Amino acid sequence: MIHARTVAQRAAAAGLSRIWSNTGTVVFTAAFYLMVTAVLAALWSAAAAVNDGHIVGYSASALIWYIAASEAATIALPQRLIEEIGQDVKGGAIEIEMLRPASVLLVRLSTQFGAMIARLSICAACGVVFSLIFAGRPGDFRALALAGPAVVLALVLSLVAQHLFAAISFWMRDATATWFLYQKLIFVLGGMLLPLEVLPQTMETIARWLPFSAMAYIPARLASGHFEPHLLLIQLGWIAAIGAAATITFNAGQRRLLEAVS
Amino acid sequence: MTGLMTTWRAAWSEAMSNRRGFWFEATIMIFNDVIWLVFWILFFRRVGEIRGWDIEQLIVLQAILTTGGGITLGLLANARHTGHLVLNGGLDAALTMPSSTLAYLLVRRVQPINVGDIIFGVLLFTFFGNPTVSRTIVYLLGVAIAATIMTSFLVLAGSSAFYLGRNDGGDLGFHAVLLFAAYPVDVFSGATKVLLYTVIPAGFITGIPSRLVDEFDFGSFLACVAVAGGFATAAVYSFNRGLRRYTSGAVWTTA
Repeated sequence: MIHARTVAQRAAAAGLSRIWSNTGTVVFTAAFYLMVTAVLAALWSAAAAVNDGHIVGYSASALIWYIAASEAATIALPQRLIEEIGQDVKGGAIEIEMLRPASVLLVRLSTQFGAMIARLSICAACGVVFSLIFAGRPGDFRALALAGPAVVLALVLSLVAQHLFAAISFWMRDATATWFLYQKLIFVLGGMLLPLEVLPQTMETIARWLPFSAMAYIPARLASGHFEPHLLLIQLGWIAAIGAAATITFNAGQRRLLEAVS
Repeated sequence: MTGLMTTWRAAWSEAMSNRRGFWFEATIMIFNDVIWLVFWILFFRRVGEIRGWDIEQLIVLQAILTTGGGITLGLLANARHTGHLVLNGGLDAALTMPSSTLAYLLVRRVQPINVGDIIFGVLLFTFFGNPTVSRTIVYLLGVAIAATIMTSFLVLAGSSAFYLGRNDGGDLGFHAVLLFAAYPVDVFSGATKVLLYTVIPAGFITGIPSRLVDEFDFGSFLACVAVAGGFATAAVYSFNRGLRRYTSGAVWTTA
């Protein structure tokens, strides 16, 4: 029997090398990341310029660092992961994976984690260079140092949350399109497109209590020069909660598949 | 022409075969578009007017983008998949048809989720776009221009797969044109702005057409029509030339 840790390590290594060995994917990831970051950086820079250089306490420079981090925390994961998992559930790929002597969820999460680290390294390198060129030095180096682990935690949280969201496919036939909803929740309530401080008071409060803000806003807030280490604890708390929910739901879904077959 | 109409009707029947699924997907997209609108409302509420753009202009831009984009990605759904079809040998079925291969491909598939874009765009303009008779006519012309340029651009980018043997350019082109067309073109400056009026024609897809709805200018309109015609010609030429290099996937597909 192979140890679960070994399985996870091998799956992660496979995911990592799958991205790095494909030049087209590397170039596409870098180009797409730079494109989105450049568009949003231009938008927020223009917005700051017509508001005396500041929007809700963020300078134009801080906003560029914010966008660079929030985009890295979003683009490093496949855009349609929920849809892909849903198709695997419907198409029977999950049933085949259940024949392996290892947890389906663990192998999937580990493979995606490896691929995510590869994509993140591309996005992070592009993001730092882009921000240094167009925004200058970061506002606070200690905060930027925290933004690194915060981006990784944000992506891990997003990864398990997407599996939780996708697990709905075990029960609903048309659940694959729900990735649109998930993505848009991160866009606005997660702070990917705009800092949460831009939202109206009530909406901002709700957004802070939801897990989506830990997937984009927290690393972006740190990268924009706000030294707030307690934000990492919030991310860890959400990973524990959503991770447990994803495990329970995925296992229940697999049992449902087995019952349908037998 | 009759053959193409029959193909399009068949594509609709296929899309509507799961009626509940069709409307579910369309509704999801409407919700998606509403969230985008919420973003812009929040943005302009905090920022105010930015380089001549306010929320009213942005609503017209979004209406043109979603309606025009919905026509391209929903009703001519294979435009987006040109590159993948080329690489995976997916054109075999289309080559046996008596009509033009490209025309057949374009009408062959309807994507339900993007039909939601069309519904959203029309509703947005009807309820929030101050639809007088003249504004509505210009809006419809803008939608036609946007759909033509977007479809042509996607076919052109996808046709690069004939020559390069990979579709990264097509995928990137798809994301680029949708991304840049969704933002006010005047936010950008310098080389980026030049790019948006040349290589990635986002300025002609939404930027100028949405300005025309507010203030019609015949010269700008003619420029948009000329660009749409130019891109359409380039797309047809590039696809047909590329078709000579196409090698069958030896699989039977329905494109």
